[in-house]
Amino acid sequence: MTTDTVIIKTENLEKAFGKIEVLKGIHTEIKKGEVVVIIGPSGSGKSTFLRTLNLLEDPTGGKVFFEGNDITDPKVNINLHRQKMGMVFQQFNLFPHMTVLRNMTIAPMKLKKISKQEAENRALQLLERVGLADRANAYPAQLSGGQKQRVAIVRALCMQPDVMLFDEPTSALDPEMVGEVLDVMKKLADEGMTMVVVTHEMGFAREVADRVLFIDDGVIVEEGTPEAIFEHPQSPRLKDFLSKVI
Amino acid sequence: MFLVEWFRSLIDEFKFVFVNGNRYQQMITGFVNTLKITFGALLIGILIGIVVAAVRSTYDQSGKALKNHGGIGYPILAFFNAICKVYLAVIRGTPVVVQLMIAYFVIFISIKNGVPIAIFAFGINSGAYVAEIFRGGIMSIDKGQFEAGRSLGLNYVQTMVHIIIPQMFKTVLPTLCNEFIALLKETSVAGYVGVVDLTKAGNAIAGRTYSYFLPLLTVAAIYLIIVLILTNLVARLERRLRNSDH
Repeated sequence: MTTDTVIIKTENLEKAFGKIEVLKGIHTEIKKGEVVVIIGPSGSGKSTFLRTLNLLEDPTGGKVFFEGNDITDPKVNINLHRQKMGMVFQQFNLFPHMTVLRNMTIAPMKLKKISKQEAENRALQLLERVGLADRANAYPAQLSGGQKQRVAIVRALCMQPDVMLFDEPTSALDPEMVGEVLDVMKKLADEGMTMVVVTHEMGFAREVADRVLFIDDGVIVEEGTPEAIFEHPQSPRLKDFLSKVI
Repeated sequence: MFLVEWFRSLIDEFKFVFVNGNRYQQMITGFVNTLKITFGALLIGILIGIVVAAVRSTYDQSGKALKNHGGIGYPILAFFNAICKVYLAVIRGTPVVVQLMIAYFVIFISIKNGVPIAIFAFGINSGAYVAEIFRGGIMSIDKGQFEAGRSLGLNYVQTMVHIIIPQMFKTVLPTLCNEFIALLKETSVAGYVGVVDLTKAGNAIAGRTYSYFLPLLTVAAIYLIIVLILTNLVARLERRLRNSDH
């Protein structure tokens, strides 16, 4: 599905929290339709990297280009760009005081000025696709972890984003619920969505990724097709990492 | 026999104290003024509280990021934060009676009607306490909620209004109710600036009739009844808001 159009590009991206450097210069390009999976040990900076892509973390150096615009420029209205970058969090972060339907329609209604009717129709269609249409009027506290994360995914999709960012979407789930979330993500990848996924699910990376980035100590140590990364790792650090997780 | 006798004398006393010379009208005026001052002040307090709490918690939570980001945002925020801090220190550091008298005898020297001045003074006073209650409430809400709102493209104010503040209200409701009760009782010093509130009315009748027992007990009973009704309403509201966490 990968095309030649670059959708996200980072140049020498750096992020420091006080004296601790988490990202030490990351260059990469993500193309439209590409599924990029980021793996690496905990504390390696992979989540931070993902969060700098929509500026939830402000980079302390370097640039992020989204659809050709330098979004690290302070003059840019980041809210407009974020509308086109969906994000899914490890802890779901559904809004607990709203029903599932309201969770999904609030952003489109406030930002795209579409009618409640239209927003709800679209939301229900999406819920149908992830098998949760009957839960539209439930509150998040009434859902299981897997259901919450599926709602979080379709909530992001309601804004019709050009790219989806996943920050360890299955790490907070009970093992038996991981599958249902990964299935939704696979479907999304098959439909051609551009995805950047931080995960510990090596099976998913192998099966779905077009490209795998191995990040350690704030830099991309190795990248390549799943086959190259998992079958023929080059660097000692990747070999060491894989020996521990597989 | 004794009880009947006592009861009869109480009714005579009641007639003498409240009915003769239509003195009950004074009580009604006092009651209405107490309610006016309390509700007016609470409204002002909540408005001030929301603004001050938003400024203070924004500064605490994302001031650093804003500083790194550069631009004019940080100095403005720091300036308003400093103003809020001075406001909190001064208001919480001085007695409300003194503030009330300063408002009446110094600031609004040309206004003769004490009720609006009392509303103003108690509102400013209450705002400081409500602000800290709200700030605690905002800080207690998971950062992920804010990030989820922003990642959908909602701007800072939209995220606050639709995501954070509704959740905050639910958290702070019991404490806010406490503040409301305290405020109601604090307004009993409004007599210092010539306002006929409930306490002042009771006291005036007592002074006129040289009978202290009934007027003061009636005043106490009315405060108690208002508080009981209020507590009951808040408990109901809490139950309704709890709808979303089954």
